Amino acid sequence: MLLDLHTHSIKSDDGRAKVENYCQWIKSKNLPIDGFVLTEHRQFDNESDYSALGEKYGLVILKGSEVETEYGHILVYGVTPALQEEFDFANIRIPLQTVLAACEKHGAVAAPAHPGRPRVGMFAHTDELGIPEGVGIVEVYNGGSRDQEDQIAQENAASLGYRGIGGSDSHIVSHVGRCATRFEQDIQSIDDLVAALKSGEFEAVSLKND
Amino acid sequence: MVVAKISDVEFGVDLPTFEPDTSLATAGKFATLVGWGGARFTDHEAARKEGLPGAMVPGILSQGYLVAMIHNWAPDAEVRSIDTVFRAPVIADEKHSISGVVTDIDEDERRVEIDLTVSNEKGETRVFGTAVIELPA
Repeated sequence: MLLDLHTHSIKSDDGRAKVENYCQWIKSKNLPIDGFVLTEHRQFDNESDYSALGEKYGLVILKGSEVETEYGHILVYGVTPALQEEFDFANIRIPLQTVLAACEKHGAVAAPAHPGRPRVGMFAHTDELGIPEGVGIVEVYNGGSRDQEDQIAQENAASLGYRGIGGSDSHIVSHVGRCATRFEQDIQSIDDLVAALKSGEFEAVSLKND
Repeated sequence: MVVAKISDVEFGVDLPTFEPDTSLATAGKFATLVGWGGARFTDHEAARKEGLPGAMVPGILSQGYLVAMIHNWAPDAEVRSIDTVFRAPVIADEKHSISGVVTDIDEDERRVEIDLTVSNEKGETRVFGTAVIELPA
């Protein structure tokens, strides 16, 4: 099962894609992904229910978040009301250890996004701040990466023993599905996704040239 | 294919790729004309001294190219909005291409939404955005 784990819709300040248009695009272009996770910037979208849309298009549509820390951007999967009480998602400098501890406490998964990117990626900060405790998964394929960003992410992930995920980081419709994560398990819910990420049975894939 | 009316448009169709003039001469001339005179648009070496990878094409010139691309495809389109996110500078004298694709059609309102991406030769997205255009019935 192939899921794009990093997408943004018009709910994000820099997102320009409507969720139904993502679905139409995936189907009309026969993209090989089975669904996607909406990881809106600095928030969790408590309002939207995409289950009917997912059913209509035969896609799994899940919700996560992309929060901001002193180590850069962090994808969070398995956001619950209780987890949202632990820190302010809108804060642009949440301590990474706060995010990791809250995720651990509430059964969620945190994964640094585009960690090879200057300024907003984790490995841009490890020389100064050190290697953070508690990271186990990082995004090693990001559809918006430039230069050597993915390579930096992959090399550091390999040397530190991190597992890698992939996501398109799409902000417009036609960028969805550029990178994804392949799972052995069937995933239909956010609980399934969190369990699969915790199992470690997944691999990042790039579909940029397909 | 040139599009004349809303019924000509199909979801997912690619607009013809557009290769913008990103020469330093044009970037510098444009910047000067619009009052953005500055070395970052006219001189690679001076731009590097400012910490940039090279002299840049002004963002509003890139937006102009996006509109030009749309009008090459649909000459009678009224461009209602161009909404861009500048991810990285468009460096002058480097070859770039602009791609566009139809991602939403509202036949009742005769409006079409287009994804727009400015990429360099390595395929890296430098600018992305969307345009909303209106076409004749």
